[in-house]
Amino acid sequence: MSNFIEYVKMAIHNIMANKGRSFLTMLGIIIGIASVIMIMSVGQGTTNQMNEEIDSAGAGQIQVMCSNDAMNAGEYITPEDMDALMDQIPGVEAVAPGSGWTGTTATGKGDFSISLTGATETQPLFSTTQIKRGHYFNAQDVEEARKVCVISDKDAKRLFGSDDVVGMDIDVEYNNISKSFTIVGVTQQPENGTFVTYTYEGMPVYIDVPYTALQEYDDSYNEFYYIVVLADREMDSSAVSDQVVKVLDARHQSAGEDYFQVQSFQDIMATLNTMMGAITGFISFVAGISLLVGGIGVMNIMLVSVTERTREIGIRKSLGAKTSSIMAQFLAESAILTVLGGFIGILLGLAGAYGICTILSSSQGMDLSPGFSIPMVLGATLFSCAVGIFFGIYPARKAARLSPIEALRRN
Amino acid sequence: MEPLIQVRDMCKVYNPGENEVHALDHINLTVQKGEFLAIIGQSGSGKSTLMNMLGCLDVPTSGEYHLNGSDVAAMNDNELSVIRNKEIGFIFQGFNLIPNLTALENVELPLIYRGIDRKTRKTLAVNSLRMVGLEKRMTHKPSEMSGGQQQRVAIARAIAAKPPVILADEPTGNLDSASSKEILQILKEMHRDGKTIILITHDDGIAAQARRVVRILDGRIESDVINPNFS
Repeated sequence: MSNFIEYVKMAIHNIMANKGRSFLTMLGIIIGIASVIMIMSVGQGTTNQMNEEIDSAGAGQIQVMCSNDAMNAGEYITPEDMDALMDQIPGVEAVAPGSGWTGTTATGKGDFSISLTGATETQPLFSTTQIKRGHYFNAQDVEEARKVCVISDKDAKRLFGSDDVVGMDIDVEYNNISKSFTIVGVTQQPENGTFVTYTYEGMPVYIDVPYTALQEYDDSYNEFYYIVVLADREMDSSAVSDQVVKVLDARHQSAGEDYFQVQSFQDIMATLNTMMGAITGFISFVAGISLLVGGIGVMNIMLVSVTERTREIGIRKSLGAKTSSIMAQFLAESAILTVLGGFIGILLGLAGAYGICTILSSSQGMDLSPGFSIPMVLGATLFSCAVGIFFGIYPARKAARLSPIEALRRN
Repeated sequence: MEPLIQVRDMCKVYNPGENEVHALDHINLTVQKGEFLAIIGQSGSGKSTLMNMLGCLDVPTSGEYHLNGSDVAAMNDNELSVIRNKEIGFIFQGFNLIPNLTALENVELPLIYRGIDRKTRKTLAVNSLRMVGLEKRMTHKPSEMSGGQQQRVAIARAIAAKPPVILADEPTGNLDSASSKEILQILKEMHRDGKTIILITHDDGIAAQARRVVRILDGRIESDVINPNFS
């Protein structure tokens, strides 16, 4: 319908004739859309960043825990169970015992708490950490329960003031027993992440030691209530989880007892993403209310405009404008106002999100960039269009239904 | 030949029930094509109501109104809009131009509602502005023109879509005598060109310019005479 273009032109003409008022009308929509877009893209950026960090730290990991029932029955996961998981399930690349504790150590640099992680030679598979000096301890070290350890370059510097420490000993005291561990490897501490691989002042020194070496402090080294299985990252970790439970149940004759509980990395990610989604959704909802208020603002101004232009409407009707023509003109006006406002809002929102991420990145040492998605922008545009049409209907109807005589009589 | 306007027993009652006002009381009126007719009456006589009826801005309470073959009395809102657009050109006392549009854009308005394409529209609008001698004022807004010029724009607007009837409601009411003369001259020229002109006024001097004078009193036609002095 070619006339529709004429009504849109009339609407634009009128918007341009009242620039100041048009801008103020749009302001509510601009602020509403900008805040929704800003929150959504910062939220999306945070989620992306978190996923990326968690992914590099733990993709493919499956945590296996013994239930209370299992522990009451004296059933724990043994080193033999771990070997069985490795041998019997395709796609299992490594199994790490969940053992360790925090003791103390004293060096020339002072007293430190020191956290020992009982590990096997497969531990490096679990992370992307690189060896900087020396090497990781090997299967033989584990088998013979040698007192060796691997430390990060950063922690080495804290203890000794240098990372050239291969061959040096660390004395660890725990349970009133003091043992000496020889450093065989130094790892490269990864760059600070934002959420997961975050480090802080005064955190303990971390070292990896063969889990068998922990025996000398504590007899329970060969019984674990918690292990971590590393599955091939390409595989469906929930399928691998099922098999892990099956194998363990078979070995402990505990089918149906619910002794072993698994939580795959996928589950954790899903929970986390749901949580982030809920938070972002809620804040967006609150911001959406401001959009609603903006819409009411548009309606209000359009109503004022109808009253002000009653005479104009009368003239147009006397010249042959139909109810639908007047309706189309006024609806086009409010739709253009909100869509234009929405467009400006999107730009401002993205700029704001970029600004927030930059400020957070530089002041908090985080590494954030705003998430941007086409559906999000499209959704915001459609929504502002819908707001314009919805809140434009009432004033437009009011305008269109004026009787021409009444309208002409008014001054 | 069928008359252009045929009104039979037209009544208009405001506030039906209590406080009834019979603004029009059984009006009968026939206007042939090409007539120059003045409807004269004091305020409150019902002439404005008659003008609203003739202009299809309102429908009568009872009676018949045939305009150029269409039965207007039975029409709904949208049909009335179409009829106004096709059959009637309005000239108002207060000019009724849209303030933020230029002279040309104002003249184009009825053509837009007629659905005429942009090019033809512009040609028609320019032509009718030329007819009232305003070809040099096309881009001016109403506030930049004198009252006489504004009324000429309104006349250009009324004739742009070439409607058969021109309905002028006190067209000189807001103008000085020089401008009034000018406007009446234009109306006479239009009549000479074959347009049907209905002039509504309270002023005997103005009415005397028309060929036929219909006098309204209390909602009835008091007299309907041919002006012997019409030139």
